[in-house]
Amino acid sequence: MKFRTSIIAAALSAVASIAAAEDFPAGSVDYVIPFGPGGESDITARFQQPFFEKLYGQQLVVSYKPGGGGAVGWSQLNSMAGDGSVIMGINLPHIVIKPQQGDVGFKTEDVTAVYMFHYTPDAIVVKADSDFKSLQDLIDHAKANPKQVIFSGSGKGTANHLAQVQFDALAGIETTYVAFKGTGAAVAALLGNQVKAEWGYTTVGAKQGDKVRMLAVAMEERHPAFPDVPTFRELGFDLVSGAYRGVAVPNSASEETRKQVSDAIAAINADPDFQKQMLDGGFALLDVGYGDSMNAFLTEKAEGYIGAAKAAGIIE
Amino acid sequence: MLDFWLNALSPLNLLLALLGVAAGTIIGSIPGLTATMAVAVLVPLTFTMAPDSALILMGAIYTGAIYGGAYAAILLNTPGTPSAIATTFDGYPMAKRGDGDLAVSIACLASVAGGLVGALALLIFAPPLAEAALAFGPVEYFWLAIFGLSLIAALSTGDFLKGVIGACFGLLIAMIGISETSAEVRFTFGSSTLLGGIETVSALIGLYCIPVLIDLVATPNKHLQEPEDTRGFRLPEAVMALARNKFNLIRSSVIGTMVGALPGAGGSIAGLVAYSEARRSNKGDEKFGEGNPGGIIATESANNATVGGGFIPTLVLGIPGTPPDAVILGALLVQGVRTGPSLFSEGADIVYTFIFGLLLATVLMLPVGLLIGRFAYRAIVQAPKAALVPAVAFMTVIGTFAIRNSVSDIVIMIVLGVIGWLASKRGFSASPIVLGLILGRIAEQGFVQSWTIGDAIGDLWGQFFGRPLSMVIIALTVLSFLYPFWPQIKKLVIKSSGEPVLDRDPAPRNAVLRDLASLVVFGGIALIAISQSASLNQEAAVFPRTIAIAMFALTALAVIKLFITRHVTEVAVEGSWLRMTAVPVMMLGAIALLPIFGFQSSAILMGLALILPAQHEAYSAKGWVILVTGVAAIIFCFTLLFKEVLGVPLP
Repeated sequence: MKFRTSIIAAALSAVASIAAAEDFPAGSVDYVIPFGPGGESDITARFQQPFFEKLYGQQLVVSYKPGGGGAVGWSQLNSMAGDGSVIMGINLPHIVIKPQQGDVGFKTEDVTAVYMFHYTPDAIVVKADSDFKSLQDLIDHAKANPKQVIFSGSGKGTANHLAQVQFDALAGIETTYVAFKGTGAAVAALLGNQVKAEWGYTTVGAKQGDKVRMLAVAMEERHPAFPDVPTFRELGFDLVSGAYRGVAVPNSASEETRKQVSDAIAAINADPDFQKQMLDGGFALLDVGYGDSMNAFLTEKAEGYIGAAKAAGIIE
Repeated sequence: MLDFWLNALSPLNLLLALLGVAAGTIIGSIPGLTATMAVAVLVPLTFTMAPDSALILMGAIYTGAIYGGAYAAILLNTPGTPSAIATTFDGYPMAKRGDGDLAVSIACLASVAGGLVGALALLIFAPPLAEAALAFGPVEYFWLAIFGLSLIAALSTGDFLKGVIGACFGLLIAMIGISETSAEVRFTFGSSTLLGGIETVSALIGLYCIPVLIDLVATPNKHLQEPEDTRGFRLPEAVMALARNKFNLIRSSVIGTMVGALPGAGGSIAGLVAYSEARRSNKGDEKFGEGNPGGIIATESANNATVGGGFIPTLVLGIPGTPPDAVILGALLVQGVRTGPSLFSEGADIVYTFIFGLLLATVLMLPVGLLIGRFAYRAIVQAPKAALVPAVAFMTVIGTFAIRNSVSDIVIMIVLGVIGWLASKRGFSASPIVLGLILGRIAEQGFVQSWTIGDAIGDLWGQFFGRPLSMVIIALTVLSFLYPFWPQIKKLVIKSSGEPVLDRDPAPRNAVLRDLASLVVFGGIALIAISQSASLNQEAAVFPRTIAIAMFALTALAVIKLFITRHVTEVAVEGSWLRMTAVPVMMLGAIALLPIFGFQSSAILMGLALILPAQHEAYSAKGWVILVTGVAAIIFCFTLLFKEVLGVPLP
């Protein structure tokens, strides 16, 4: 079945490329995820897949190129075809932090970001039976017992880790951050009482339900799925952060193609069914399209990340 | 409950289970195509299905793939999936002596039995087991990895020191790339190719399969002993073997279920732990590692038990137990199924239908697995070398590529293969290196996490040695390390038989020099790692530096021992050097042609070129035509299959 559709797609794309030089999508589009299957980058791409096909009648084929926390994929991005037949997932803070850590085969400015479509907001998660009923409880305990509040979190130099660094500075406390491989392992450590709390994501709250309690979320507004959980800003800490995900194209792509890909992702984001799916999963939607707004967004985020990473000693 | 049974037995679900097991078995038998990939490829297909059918299909593929890994392990000494590493230890020697068909049947029965135990545990004990698994913290994972490493003592046939040095080498290779614990770039020597690290599965393929290929072309000898007549499935013998090993079977299935329920441990560790325990409690005369069916039974029952075991945290906690489970969770999320603790309590109909479907798929694995196994065995035994070598070499290349869609992984695979071949001839067998590679990252993560926690609470000693669970694992590790030395401790000198040839007279001067050269190389690698560690931050450096210092000390010890005893453990090289060199050279040559001719043409060229070194018999003109078209056709069809069905973006 897939074979047949790809034959048809190939035929169509051949016809299309003769007919019009710049037509998106001219055929099936390869969507390269620079991480392995099963992570949030994969899942959110899979969410987009059926909507893309519904809107454009073309296949969005997800493939994986994991390695080096995304670096392997991003370092090969600009050697791929720039005719709109290949797009790649991008992640913040990764594309900012990785190149700062040494030669990872790409620089932040090599990545042509055309759309940021959602983020997974950072959140402090504790077990339902934890003594920390509120964020203030945690802060008080941390002030009285420096380093004794041990957080699990996903990875080093990641959104979770940078949020921990920033929050420690904002609240004037010193806590301990233990990096785990992926959110699943960080949640397991929390549920198994290996740590006192987790720097996790709102998706953890969505998945774990009443087994856990979120003390605060790093969003501008409260998350629609968790109306009772305050934002850090409400509590007096200016922290809006998370793992931002978007789409990039190779730098050989024309202005027109960049705009078309940006518009396509925007159209998926505008679909109410897609929005519902994402919000139910605990994600937060975001619409930053190609152009000046993207440049401004990336510049602002990069400043915050690099400051936090320097404070954490992740980069020189 | 009956409703769920009936639901699982609906014609559609039955068909999906059957197709899933068959497809999974075939995919798993190809080195490089892992269970994770098999499941990931299917995800788009499941969008249009009912959630329970989608789950059954994915569960069936998963369990089939884990079993399929045994074929390549037994017939080619190459684990088809990492779960089948320990299957090679006894499976390949069995195949070598002409018992490949029996080994495949035993693997099938053991896989079915283990799979049933795991699935039943999922049905009956899921919630309490999920809670129990949470008691496993970073320290326990660290000690579990060290326990896995204790197998080295057993695997380093003939020379324990060389085994440990090999394991250190494997541990160091695992440190290459961007560190998961400290996010630092390590040991890449400025190469962006190495940033992503050495992919475990491609390293496995290289270290196990390339040496087999090189040895295959070296001499005209048959690859495996061929039985005089066809003996069917040899089921009665296989059943007898299982009956003799019933305690081993039960223990290994339980180990597999337990390890599977630990988030992130997975089939490879389960297989190794079960193998290690089976070997330790072996009371029979037949030694493990020389073709004892008990080794296959332990590994294969344990790794299939991890399928059911891995679904325990996946379904009860919403935390993936194994990498394929992560993909399955994602697919359910896309379908709009709420995964997490509420799934087990509220989505009972999906969950139970799925569990019964998994049980069903496991039972179906018996006929399907026996039939496909029979076919695989016949194909490998009867194929002429001139067809077998090109076909297997092609599989290693495409399988390696498919893991991360990366051409440089293929080069790394071939280079590691040559290193592995050289090392094995010098008495450093591949298995300890692979063990180090697989367990290195897990050990390091657990170590650094425990260190961080211990440092924060101000009790490092208690953190590492004071936890009850850890103490149990530490005790098992000590037992396991000491076990191979009991005979020596009891002052019994056991004459080891078979390969490698143990020459206990003082070796000739050239052999001593060869041995010295290999030790100097490994010592040099250790020194490079020590100097490289100096520029890293403390967190990134502590583990590799410790390993490298130990490796250097062991190498020095081995050199001293060499000069005192003049004993050399090495394997004689037989056959034509020209033919042997041709294999990696031709494979690398084909990779160099990739950008010019594309994948398919380069692969066909490689296959045709490899006929030359592999061909020892005279063929008629007609025979040549059949051979050449056959090899080209196999490669042509497989590339199509990968491209179109599995969606691998071949260059």
